[in-house]
Amino acid sequence: MVGRDVILYLKGLTKTFAGHKAVDAIDLEIHEGELFTIVGPSGSGKTTLLRMLAGMEEPTSGDIILRGERINAIPANKRPTCMVFQSLALFPHKEVGANIEFPLKIRGVAPAARKQRALELMGLLRLPESYYGRSVTQISGGERQRVALARALAFDPEILFFDEPLSALDYKLRKTLEKELKDIHRETRKTFVYITHSLEEAMVMSDRIGVMRDGKLVQIGSPQEIYSTPNSKFVSEFIGDVNVMPVTVADNGTLTSPQIPGEFAAPSIADGLRDGFLVVRPEYLRFLSEPGDADNHVPGRLYNEYALGSRIQYHVRVGEMTFVLEKLRHEAFQGKLDQEVLIGWNAADSIVVPDQ
Amino acid sequence: MQTRAVRIRHALIVVWTIAMVIFVYLPSLSITLASLTSSRYFIFPITKWGLDWWHKTLDSIQIHQILETSVIIAAVVTVISIILAFFGALAFARYDWKGRSWFQKVILLPIFFPQSVLGLALLLWFNAIGLQLSWQTAVFAHLVWIVPVVTLVISIQVYSFDPALEEAAFDLGASRLQVMREVTIPVLMPGIFSGGLFAFLLSWGNFPLSLFTTGADTTVPEYLYAKMVAGYTPGVPVLGTISTVGAVVILIGGYLVMLALNRRRRADAG
Repeated sequence: MVGRDVILYLKGLTKTFAGHKAVDAIDLEIHEGELFTIVGPSGSGKTTLLRMLAGMEEPTSGDIILRGERINAIPANKRPTCMVFQSLALFPHKEVGANIEFPLKIRGVAPAARKQRALELMGLLRLPESYYGRSVTQISGGERQRVALARALAFDPEILFFDEPLSALDYKLRKTLEKELKDIHRETRKTFVYITHSLEEAMVMSDRIGVMRDGKLVQIGSPQEIYSTPNSKFVSEFIGDVNVMPVTVADNGTLTSPQIPGEFAAPSIADGLRDGFLVVRPEYLRFLSEPGDADNHVPGRLYNEYALGSRIQYHVRVGEMTFVLEKLRHEAFQGKLDQEVLIGWNAADSIVVPDQ
Repeated sequence: MQTRAVRIRHALIVVWTIAMVIFVYLPSLSITLASLTSSRYFIFPITKWGLDWWHKTLDSIQIHQILETSVIIAAVVTVISIILAFFGALAFARYDWKGRSWFQKVILLPIFFPQSVLGLALLLWFNAIGLQLSWQTAVFAHLVWIVPVVTLVISIQVYSFDPALEEAAFDLGASRLQVMREVTIPVLMPGIFSGGLFAFLLSWGNFPLSLFTTGADTTVPEYLYAKMVAGYTPGVPVLGTISTVGAVVILIGGYLVMLALNRRRRADAG
């Protein structure tokens, strides 16, 4: 589905602000037609990175290469790329139609052709035609989102950048628009580069994800890879709830933890890793009726349970540690609070990662 | 008991408000009354009512000249101060640059200078460089005081301006000039418009700066003052009324224009 050709190539891309490296030597290839998401906490440098790609910030060093051409010094208005801003930046004095037509007007397209294209895009984004003459201040948040996307598509960019455009919306609308955006990506087959602080959002939409921390890309991979084989404690903790326990790898390949007594069977571990973190996702932790039901087992006490829609989450206290388990609603665990429980997991369902 | 206390408080507020309104507007109203006499002098109560002095004033070539001078000065001051203050406001509130906080303080300082001292200083300065005093030097003097005010007025609008709007336009292919024309100026228009109103009205009513810097030309406030000092006729309150009414008309006119623009925008939207 995704073309193999590299459309955007970053080489050692760096941006320094007053001696601080906001973006630190990033190497990255973005493929033609893919939806690539850069995820990171605030301050990780993702916005600075995106602004360099869009031409609003000049790199301190390194190269930005678009289809084989170095574009470092080309300003934003001369680049064939376009950005959807966090604030959307809809022109408040222009109507919906005039906002969408803006890039065409700048290009000198005749009014009739402009209008036709605007209406086409409004159709693609499911905006009613009657909105053409409406003020952008009088439409809902989701509709504003679609107008911003339509305006960017009217520019017909080679790459579309998104700077957390959904972050200001409420949860339900965000969930809807995430899928809508992915559908638009499917319809247009353009290259999308999206940034967000929510790995959950990235998971829903992306073909590939790059996780950013302190100006560096710490892991790049498919949503599946990022979820099931994070390469560090940082990445593993980035999505939702996860069980992370400091462990030491013994010579015989088993794990011991300073927090919980006992030895644990380990998955295959990268060579040379001695001290790391055992990561088990909540859905791979199980309540056991017999110690032998899983490779590893730990006795604990049911502390509390939380209904999360289709799933139920349980917190089990083991000494100082709290383990998080999740079950689908129809396989809910029937237990009382403070009841003694036995929980466990199979070695193959866990991974051991370094800190960084 | 409580309702009574509330009623008394409410009544006091009403009385206070009416008293303030009378206190503020009665003098202007008295000027109009004083102009409606047919006698040569100011006598109160007015014995002979009439519009004689209105006719005389409106027919006077000298008065036409004075009104013209005031209008020209105010118009030129408005245009120049809008241009200077627009860019000043962008420097004041839009861009982050070294020395900005210093600029913000220095640009506002002339507002607080005593205007008569500023007028005198400018007079000495014009003399020193050998400039003939006229309405043009008065324009310069007015600008020194009015540009900072207008800069502040437009800056308030600029503070609520999302810089991403300019970036978005630029990113969509617009040149710097197109960004300015298509986005920056239209979005800041309400601020620019009220800045222009401020400029015109402050120049129109200014006395201390004009007194020192107009030379042979005379503005309306200067004329009123000169006639009060020597040679009062009921023509003075006539011109005073014209000056006040002119300011009110411009203010209300400006308000109506803004209202019409907003309504058209809303009508377009609906």
